Amino acid sequence: MDWAGWALFGLLATTLLTALMIAAQLGGLSRLDLSLILGTTVTPDPDRARAAGFLIHLCIGQLFALGYAASFALLGRATWWIGGLLGLLHGAIALSALIPLLVGVHPRMASNRAGPGSTAVLEPPGLLGLNYGVQTPLVAMGAHLAYGIALGLLLNAH
Amino acid sequence: MPPPIPGQPGPPPWTYDDRDREIAIEDYGLLGDTRTAALVAPDGSVDWLCIPRFDGRPVFGRLVGGPAAGSFRLAPAVPAAVVERRYLPECATLETTWQTEAGRLILTEGMVAEVSGRLLPPTMLVRRLAAPDGPVEAVISFDPRLGEGHARPHTHHRDQVLVAGWPTVALALSTTPRMHLEPGPTYEITVTPDRPFTCVLAVADREPLVYVAPDAAWDVLEADQRRWQAWCRDIDPDIPCRDTVIRSLLTLRLLTYSPSGAPVAAPTTSLPEHLGGGRNWDYRYAWPRDASIGINAFLGVGKHEEARAFMAWLLSATRLDRPRLPVLLTLHGKRPAPERELSHWPGYAGSLPVRLGNGAATQHQLDGYGWVLDAAWQLTRAGHPLYSETWRTMAGFADTVARRWREPDAGIWEERAAPSHHVHSKLMAWLALDRALRIAEHHRTRAARIRRWRTERALLRDDITAHGFDRVRGTYTRSYGSVDTDAALLVLPYLDFEGSDGARVRGTIDAIAHELDAGGPLLYRYPPGHDGLLGGEGAFLPCSFWLVQALADSGRPADASALFHELTSLAGPLGLYAEEMDPATHRHLGNYPQALTHSALVQAALALRSAGPTAS
Repeated sequence: MDWAGWALFGLLATTLLTALMIAAQLGGLSRLDLSLILGTTVTPDPDRARAAGFLIHLCIGQLFALGYAASFALLGRATWWIGGLLGLLHGAIALSALIPLLVGVHPRMASNRAGPGSTAVLEPPGLLGLNYGVQTPLVAMGAHLAYGIALGLLLNAH
Repeated sequence: MPPPIPGQPGPPPWTYDDRDREIAIEDYGLLGDTRTAALVAPDGSVDWLCIPRFDGRPVFGRLVGGPAAGSFRLAPAVPAAVVERRYLPECATLETTWQTEAGRLILTEGMVAEVSGRLLPPTMLVRRLAAPDGPVEAVISFDPRLGEGHARPHTHHRDQVLVAGWPTVALALSTTPRMHLEPGPTYEITVTPDRPFTCVLAVADREPLVYVAPDAAWDVLEADQRRWQAWCRDIDPDIPCRDTVIRSLLTLRLLTYSPSGAPVAAPTTSLPEHLGGGRNWDYRYAWPRDASIGINAFLGVGKHEEARAFMAWLLSATRLDRPRLPVLLTLHGKRPAPERELSHWPGYAGSLPVRLGNGAATQHQLDGYGWVLDAAWQLTRAGHPLYSETWRTMAGFADTVARRWREPDAGIWEERAAPSHHVHSKLMAWLALDRALRIAEHHRTRAARIRRWRTERALLRDDITAHGFDRVRGTYTRSYGSVDTDAALLVLPYLDFEGSDGARVRGTIDAIAHELDAGGPLLYRYPPGHDGLLGGEGAFLPCSFWLVQALADSGRPADASALFHELTSLAGPLGLYAEEMDPATHRHLGNYPQALTHSALVQAALALRSAGPTAS
């Protein structure tokens, strides 16, 4: 297990993933804003939330990178294509399970059952995050693919 | 006549002749849960319900799709007069009372809004028939059809619960007393004083059905009723015509999609602006302009949470298009599907075509920026400073206005002719820059940006007064070089563009009241027929309420008050308004109920309150 590689490259890969998601937002492809969604679990101010959310996302990314590093160690090699496959699996789980399940635990996210008493203001992501734009699944899968490839390449080089 | 056998299908005791059936638009009652809405006719038939959201597929579409599009009826077994129809006080529960030979039959019904955190269906319609004077014969007919093709369901029974299903949607209909029902036939029931008939319709879309016993559903509906009443208690007690305003506010809240905060313009598509005509549009979308007007309406009555929720929706929904402000969006902030026509749908009163989607989505409308920035300013003034992100968005909108105000646009009326230089749009562009400058006093903004906004605001003022004012007639005009007036210009006194009681403002108000007069308190929005579309249209109701506001703001409170009371007397029997009204028959026209009309009503009442006790 490459602990030093995990510690450094996990941060780099998560930063890359976040940067791609932000680029997709700026390019008008998706309204999925992971930093905002994660950060609004601790503050309602969008700007503060983005900063907090970025840190939370780095921590989560680091945890996932641990899984990647462990997988590479088990397989005995780290390559870009294994990283890419793991990235696709990671993206599929995030879209189909993790993001939709946020509705149940996020204090400021409304659900599709929200009524007039709801004070939650973040709209629910819906299946595959489609409420944030029809291209959201593609953007998220692409960003996670890049994350996996980056980890595969970097840990291989290390 | 032998006693009816509960649960046994048989021929209906009287023919429900659709050729003769014409329910006036304003006679429909609105039931809603802030996620979707149903329209109920005075004959007890639910003729419109889209699932799972306002913009979903209709499961009861008879309103514009004819009998084949499905309906759900509870009513007396023989024709009987409706002797009373009302909403229960300060809530969304509707009560219809028929007088039959055997006594009164009372239908009480509503949708449950607050289902969050409980194992309840997300869409739940509860209906109860009561006969307080003695046994009364009634009928039930349940005929759901899904979507454009009026697809019939596959059915099965779970105990005595009818389950009607399509590939991703299922409905469960349970009754007390229990009945074995099938979709389509009409069933007779006997309602007795000690045994009301209760039914609950539960809807599931891409999730498992949740079965609810009718009596338990009734308790949930009553709890919901109490929540609405508590919501209404917070509303400013000093507002003129409080009951009328409360019905409008409840309607606005029922038309706000709670999961995203989107304000839907109306829950219907293709109710005609002219009976038998082709001006039939799909209004099941959210217009940023309406959200902004709603912010002002809710702020004015002390409902700050609702106002802030609209702003949150605006921020989230416009993210993909910034710094351009889209004209309209779906409930989840997406671009609507292209407009198309349903060729096999007969339309309301033969008004064709029935449309899905809205072609106005691709237009450039300059006025929307003014409404949005004014709403942001009103929030700031009410003690809710903007988050940095909100201010960045608003400043981006102001930059867009500074860059694009010289371009022609489609205008507030979404004309489908060539764009032109609408004076109202230019005024609203001026408003956008003016309010941006006011907000900038409270938020950090680059000096160069402020200088640019100031310069463009001054240039805009000069442009409008040079090209948009008719010096001979003493009125602002509809567009540069036009001789037409435009009722949208009634916002003038509100803008602070020039003194609200100045000669130009008064001249414009008087010209509009005279030249666009549709009889009584009604106004056309512009000279009828001057829009490049075939056929006529009715008087535009929000404009009449804007006239109330303009008169109140320009120092004529007594005239404003008289006009307001005339207008409230033209509401539908349940206090609801469509978008337009036939000036001759006073029948409501266009999609119904219309959020813009109800927002305008609330703002007119607020203007009367501000004008002082004479007006109130």
